[in-house]
Amino acid sequence: MKRIVALAGRPNTGKTTLFNALTGLRHRTANFAGCTVEKACGTAVAEGLEVEIVDLPGTFSLLAQTEDEKVSFRFLSECAQSSQDMIVFCVAEASNLDNDLVLACALKEAGYPVVLIVNMIDEARLNGVKVDYGILSATLDMRVIAASARTGEGVDKIIQVSGPDSARADLTHALDLRRASRKRLHDLQESATTLAHRACARSVTWPRTHVLRTIARSIDIDRVLMHPVVGPLVLAATMTLLFQALFVGARPIMDFFSELLASSSNLLRARLPEGSLAGLLCDGVIPGVSAVVVFVPQIAILFAMIGFLEQSGYLPRAGAMIDRALRPLGLDGRVFIPFLSSFACAIPGILAARTIPNEKRRLVTILLTPLMTCSARIPVYTLLISAFVPASLRPWGMDGQGVVMAAMYAFGVLVALMLALVLKFTYLQESHPPPATLLPPYRLPSPRELLRYVWARCWHFLSRAGQIIFLLSIVLWALASFPRDHSRLDPLEAELRSVAAGRSPAARSQLELQAMIASARIEGSALGRAGRAIEPLFKPLGWDWRVSVAALSALAAREVFVGTLGTIYALGGDSQGSQDLIKALRQARNEDGTPRYGLATAVSLIIFFAIALQCISTIVTLRRETGGWKWPGLLFCCLFVLAYSIAFAGYRLTIALGG
Amino acid sequence: MTLESIPLAQAARVVGFRGLDEIDKIQLNGLGLRPGVLVTKILRTPLGDPIECLVGSQLLAIESRLLPHIRVEAL
Repeated sequence: MKRIVALAGRPNTGKTTLFNALTGLRHRTANFAGCTVEKACGTAVAEGLEVEIVDLPGTFSLLAQTEDEKVSFRFLSECAQSSQDMIVFCVAEASNLDNDLVLACALKEAGYPVVLIVNMIDEARLNGVKVDYGILSATLDMRVIAASARTGEGVDKIIQVSGPDSARADLTHALDLRRASRKRLHDLQESATTLAHRACARSVTWPRTHVLRTIARSIDIDRVLMHPVVGPLVLAATMTLLFQALFVGARPIMDFFSELLASSSNLLRARLPEGSLAGLLCDGVIPGVSAVVVFVPQIAILFAMIGFLEQSGYLPRAGAMIDRALRPLGLDGRVFIPFLSSFACAIPGILAARTIPNEKRRLVTILLTPLMTCSARIPVYTLLISAFVPASLRPWGMDGQGVVMAAMYAFGVLVALMLALVLKFTYLQESHPPPATLLPPYRLPSPRELLRYVWARCWHFLSRAGQIIFLLSIVLWALASFPRDHSRLDPLEAELRSVAAGRSPAARSQLELQAMIASARIEGSALGRAGRAIEPLFKPLGWDWRVSVAALSALAAREVFVGTLGTIYALGGDSQGSQDLIKALRQARNEDGTPRYGLATAVSLIIFFAIALQCISTIVTLRRETGGWKWPGLLFCCLFVLAYSIAFAGYRLTIALGG
Repeated sequence: MTLESIPLAQAARVVGFRGLDEIDKIQLNGLGLRPGVLVTKILRTPLGDPIECLVGSQLLAIESRLLPHIRVEAL
């Protein structure tokens, strides 16, 4: 059985940097059993043998208040109960020992084998803080190692101590922290605080200045970055930069990936004989890969920026600045970045919620992020607005179509905030929001740490959500391709072959015939039949079977709606055909000659797309981040009902107003 | 005297808590705000709440609703 080394400590003590220094890239992330709190595990090689390193969530005190703290103590207690070979490395910041030593002392008093890692000794030197490690070790009666995980100083010693050569710790008397009485934990915490103060007083020499150098520098920076006028401006500029980087910066890379995969698809199609294999590879596998890979640039850019903001110390300050405005809605400043990121795509937004340590708050944020207007909704809105909002509409001299588009962004935010208000009265309301937030000193992020952080997030997405997104993309392709309606397809395919061979006069061009075949294929497929089957359900919203099929296919990605509608109208599935599609939608007539779609249908469609959770990639990421299908399932149903109801109201109201 | 009545930049020592919720007290203790520690209010965040304070050798953003419950003595 491998030895387990649990890294414990307060947040911002450099635990994760130490974890990365010990494990390199040999780590993986998973959730702790039965909850969604993330567990980072890795292996380090000590004396030729592997030891398992577990990075526990940050903990402040034995009197666990947050889910993170409960999970950490549950893990330690379970290891003790199952007689695992475990040591706890308690990480403390050298310049903040009077606070950081308390947890180490408390765990030691509770019977756990603790080694104290005094981290960030380089920063302590800069601050003029001197620690006598011999006296510290003697007072605490525990092994103490001085290190700087950032520079690598002392990491060798830590690896050596974690090795199997050191004696197996006795955990038989370790306290089960899950079942211990509140009073017992309180007493342990009190005596640990006293011991920590005594150890600090004996072993630490503080500089003469009242305020440490790094703290004084941070206060000076805060006077600018949290200034009543400059602060919000800097915050707005930072968020604009993040938004622009996601929207504009990621676009060329995403386009490059998409074009590369599209060219591969065309190349393959030209070489393979026409048939199911070519269809599977070119219309199923390659678009499936594309559906996964295309998100990676956005995720990488987002997490590079979040990592920078987090490691520099600005992120908790940005949260503190907007905290008050969001509190009446049951939210706080930490939801800002996930929400903002979701305007590009809900997936990085959902992943960005990982920066929120509180479990319930994180869940609420995750549930609300899909309501922000992501970039995939834009082609749908553009098509419907261009087709049905008159270009002559000019409210207050502004472009009416542009105003409607902006209103849809505001609508998404409004619905999310209203739902936040509703969730405030459910069990998801955080019963006791943290009364204070730790503001770590400003630090220059290490490029190596930043790269590791970005890589870990991208790999996490590719290895977890990516696999399911890929598989579901293929399933959707199969549903849109089979079964084949031979009674319609065979004559069209025969005509195409004949036209291609130049044997018959071309009444219809080759392109027209190919578009008609694509249209016939989707109409006869399981997806097409499902669209017809659900037509009565969506009839009250003004949708016919064509729109219903397109909405079903948009489960793959919202923008697919435009392509599918184009295919059904035999215009070809590419977005270049959208001008023709706008014309086709405007001119479409029912059998009695009345227009098939009007402004009311467009209103119901736009509202439905704004609210409904109809993106498989988002649903899969939700499942991954919430640890099961319960929340995505519930959210899908609730948002469907809400989207349907508001879309119906919008449809009827528009008709009543003469639309 | 409470932390609320202490002006910005005035150093004070925490002497105890009054009327504070037990959970808030535990959380503040965990964050290092406990009797005996030195505290200085540094600045108000742009919306006026929370308040950035120097607590011992670290910076905390403390919700202003708690300040009347933190008893201090001015230094």
